[in-house]
Amino acid sequence: MDNLIARTDAEEREAGFAARVAENQRRVFHIAYGILGNRADAEDVAQETFLRAYQKLSSLRESEKFKAWVNRISFHLALNRQRGGRRRLTRETAWHTHGTGEPVNGLQNAEERVLLERLRNEIEGLPEKLRRALQLSIVEDMDAADVGVVLGIPAGTVRSRLHAARKLLLEAMK
Amino acid sequence: MKNHCEKWKDPLLDAALTGIAAGGLEEHMSNCADCTAELAALRARRERLDTLLPLVAQGSEPSVDFRARVLAAAEAARETSRGAAWPAWQWAAAMAAIVAVLGIGFTLYRSEVRTSGTVPQNELEAAQKLSEWRAPSDVLLEAPGREILRTTPRLGESYMPVPAKTDKEE
Repeated sequence: MDNLIARTDAEEREAGFAARVAENQRRVFHIAYGILGNRADAEDVAQETFLRAYQKLSSLRESEKFKAWVNRISFHLALNRQRGGRRRLTRETAWHTHGTGEPVNGLQNAEERVLLERLRNEIEGLPEKLRRALQLSIVEDMDAADVGVVLGIPAGTVRSRLHAARKLLLEAMK
Repeated sequence: MKNHCEKWKDPLLDAALTGIAAGGLEEHMSNCADCTAELAALRARRERLDTLLPLVAQGSEPSVDFRARVLAAAEAARETSRGAAWPAWQWAAAMAAIVAVLGIGFTLYRSEVRTSGTVPQNELEAAQKLSEWRAPSDVLLEAPGREILRTTPRLGESYMPVPAKTDKEE
């Protein structure tokens, strides 16, 4: 009987974790990708994030808690990887990441690709505080409050940093 | 933008981002075609920026099998931790074994100390000799004067010792 109950608990736990991965995997991946600009590295970071979350699953039962936790861990792991230089980071461009030759995410022509690459370079040149706020805010499903939780700052500060970052980009992207 | 419009550069950027022309900018633009054109260009650039920015983070997607790989890795981690974890009875048995080994070791050590505590005969003889040894100064103290000092009466004593009378003699 005890074994049966234990097995049911374990199955519930597995099913809950699988659902959480499904809910959060794109965002977690994109947080890492925004910093690393490399799909392989971003996937490594996302996987590591979920494995760590799995070990702490009992304390992350609430959906919001889980979301905030994985966002933060993905962000910090990506930063560590970027700083540590464990792998030679090569930035990929969106049009060849899937290897199908098809344009993805609305990148229809060469001009847009060039603009995107230029934008990436301009973002890299932003002051770090502005860059981090911007990199997180452009991830889908991340509002100022979510970004604030990851960076440990109030949502209002996130908004003012975003404004400053966009202003610098607007000026730079003439 | 003309030189005299330089001071409007920052308000123009703010206006392009927020859509609000504040601090007298609107009034200035009603008389300045350059700044009006600049604001229109900045707004067009901002729209382009809004389109491109999400692509910086979302230019790639996780691979199709990403979730399956994560779940497999989690399963492997769980198996490893399950193998590494001991049930309570195994911990109890291990602790009992450690206590038994320590007890046996301590007993053996004590008996070894007790056996080795017997002092050899030659060491005992040497200790005896040492206790009987007398320093040369002790011999000097045995001088003839010592006897005189011993027999000389102390203060209040007589040279002629008179034996005390007993009850019988009286």
